[in-house]
Amino acid sequence: MSARHSVVIRLAGESGEGVISSGDILTQAAARGGYYTQTFRTFPAEIKGGPCMYQFRLSDEPIWSHGRDVDLLVCFNQEAWDLNWDSLGPDGVILYDITEVAIPDEYLPRARPVRMEELAKEIGGSLRAKNMVAVGAVTGVLAFDTTPIEELVLRRYAHKEGVADANIAALHAGSDEAADLKGRYPLVPPVETEEDRMLISGNQAIAVGAIAAGVKYFAGYPITPASDILEWLSVRLPQVGGLTIQCEDEIASLASVLGASYAGAKAMTATSGPGLSLMGELIGYAGTAEIPVVIVDAQRGGPSTGLPTKTEQSDLNQALYGSHGDAPRIVIAPVSVEDCFFATVDAFNYAEEYQVPVILLTDQGLATRLEVIHRPETDTLTLTPRKTSKGVAREDYKRYEYTDNHISPMGIPGEPTGMYVATGIEHDEYGHPAYTPEIHLGMGHKRWDKLEPLKAGAPHAAHGEEYPTDVAFIGFGSTFGPVREAIDRLTEQGMSVGSFYPRVLMPFPADRVIDFVKDAKRIVVPEVNFTGQLARLIKAETGIELESVAKCDGLPFTAEAIMDLANQEVAV
Amino acid sequence: MSTRKPSDYKSELKPIWCPGCGDFGVLASLYRSMADLDLDPAKTVIVSGIGCSSRLPHFASTYGIHTLHGRPLPVAMGVKLANPELTVIAVGGDGDGFAIGLGHFPHAARRNVDITYLVMDNEIYGLTKGQASPTSLYEQKAPSTPFGNPEDPLNPLALGIAAGASFVARGASFNTKALTELITQAIEHKGFSYIDALSPCTTFNNTQESWKELVRDVAPDHDVTNREQAFELALKGGFTLGILYRQERLSQSQRYRNILDKAKASDIDTMLDSFNARKGAAIGKPS
Repeated sequence: MSARHSVVIRLAGESGEGVISSGDILTQAAARGGYYTQTFRTFPAEIKGGPCMYQFRLSDEPIWSHGRDVDLLVCFNQEAWDLNWDSLGPDGVILYDITEVAIPDEYLPRARPVRMEELAKEIGGSLRAKNMVAVGAVTGVLAFDTTPIEELVLRRYAHKEGVADANIAALHAGSDEAADLKGRYPLVPPVETEEDRMLISGNQAIAVGAIAAGVKYFAGYPITPASDILEWLSVRLPQVGGLTIQCEDEIASLASVLGASYAGAKAMTATSGPGLSLMGELIGYAGTAEIPVVIVDAQRGGPSTGLPTKTEQSDLNQALYGSHGDAPRIVIAPVSVEDCFFATVDAFNYAEEYQVPVILLTDQGLATRLEVIHRPETDTLTLTPRKTSKGVAREDYKRYEYTDNHISPMGIPGEPTGMYVATGIEHDEYGHPAYTPEIHLGMGHKRWDKLEPLKAGAPHAAHGEEYPTDVAFIGFGSTFGPVREAIDRLTEQGMSVGSFYPRVLMPFPADRVIDFVKDAKRIVVPEVNFTGQLARLIKAETGIELESVAKCDGLPFTAEAIMDLANQEVAV
Repeated sequence: MSTRKPSDYKSELKPIWCPGCGDFGVLASLYRSMADLDLDPAKTVIVSGIGCSSRLPHFASTYGIHTLHGRPLPVAMGVKLANPELTVIAVGGDGDGFAIGLGHFPHAARRNVDITYLVMDNEIYGLTKGQASPTSLYEQKAPSTPFGNPEDPLNPLALGIAAGASFVARGASFNTKALTELITQAIEHKGFSYIDALSPCTTFNNTQESWKELVRDVAPDHDVTNREQAFELALKGGFTLGILYRQERLSQSQRYRNILDKAKASDIDTMLDSFNARKGAAIGKPS
């Protein structure tokens, strides 16, 4: 069998059986070996019980999606088979626990039993090492050196006597199972490189990006799938002289972030859809009082409690419009894990420059997936300082002064020349309550006109033809990866395809979108929600006719699904 | 010695309150207290919610934040945590603090947020024209309670003591000398200091005269460090004026200072290193 560039592995079992930690450990080992990886996981909203799944793809080349067709499916129990068999690729093979799982006859030729539970009991006296037998079996099929995994196990269980030994024994025992499949997927070995790479999740990239941007205050309330950011910054922020606090709810979180920013600190909160709903009124306040804040929304399935552990892009409307009145804000959507880092820096820069709330939209898939990325350069990052009142004489000071670019110097407590009262009530240039038609109109212009430069100036993400003639894809956020992969494959097939992903969705770069699609026969807008929120936005902003492909099953798009979309009408 | 006068803290805006409103007395007490403490206006932040009394920051020549209905406490916490050098005073009414914003009150108290919370309690919603508030009395008639209020009032002092406020006091707008002294002590207190200031609404719930009959000073021998005694006073009928409870314990700011001291200094490059794919670190888990 000739060497291939990528392999897709899916582990499936019951929540609590160590499926997720097995996936993490294999991903780490692959990253350590120099492979690019991307993962995708689903798990139930409960702590114990319920099906969970961990898929990872590895390759010697950068990869843009987690893959559709599973090459190696590992079933910890019967339900794992029942729920995942249809993801198997045409040549995919199955590893299954011999005591737990029955495989239909037709699949038996490409299925191998693994004594997961038997060996775990034999070695460790319990089922706890079951997942390590499975990990071992995967390393066997992939012909992976187990040394990196052993090192990881030793590190993880350094404090628990005997546990590391049992796990390593289970790993070795597992790797001898399914011996005839050894080397079934010979991978092109990774190119030796000195380049710095990181294995990191979207949430972590946001947290570390916030540190790079100079965040000094973070407040949050636990919510899936955003809690990682709260937890990571709880440890890390005090290490750079900042504070992280867990508040009583999302309202208090954003309120305290506003207070900290008013006092001069770069401040952020992170939440998911339900939390963003609670923050709505304060988002309008931040826009009116012109206080910079960054709000991360790791979207999950909605509406209401919805699908807390599944992915969706259905908070777009809420991010764009949530809050009463004409409440200004900037909405930015990173398109990859690496971009989560840079978009967070951008979010702080936009917030500080424009004195406005910035909502950073990710989703469960992007927030929790692990990916190998290039280590961001920190010495070339540009941080935008806030325009303050320093040096302005008190008598002259107008907090909300009309200026050419509609941005006014902000007073910071402690600074004698900048005293003012921040307020959400309509106000004159001094910040005094005032309700005349001239003032309401003038301040409305101030709040909105200051954002205009972003329409033309905010960086976007794109791939493929600059002006595609066959299919133009427009999307936001995490669909960028599978669309990018599909574009490469469609281009090889001779199609003229390209994508345009505005990273800043509010204010919306309508002119640039109109320009991008000028030669395209078809304009396709894939998004993971029910009502086609982005498609509606584009139509409202540009008036262009487009094909809305709103998919809402709790799962991300695959590159193959995007290719099907591109080929569909051509075939018709 | 104080070099600033109460009038130095007045802004150019005149209060918009009705004639005779208790809030005038509270504002006068606050001006005087700030002068007594010689607070630097540039390092003082008055944070309010929404309501008649929440207009107060606009009438002071300090920094101020006129926030949303019910949200002065978490905003004030953020200000104080971001810059512990600032004197932070949260103000508002009983509707703002004990209805829409009540969820924040016990948390500010238990965290011992190092701010002063001054509630102008008139037992009514003034700005929306006289509806019953959480401190309105049972059977009190109001536009929203035409058959008489079917609810019992909340006891904010008992709640404050129960939740862990480290300074709990009651004052009255019609006794500005004593109220000034309470505010001064509250601002000097390290931790969450809460003052319920009786502040009659002369337009919609004129209790100016009746409350004067119901107030009494705290007994000279009251032990302010005794939580049980403080509860007794809080639960007693009528209004006991003075400091009911006072406790010395680490404020939130001091506790976070301790966290900063405990945290191992790091930098962005070290943090990025923790994700190094080749070293196979435990996926960025902080060391």
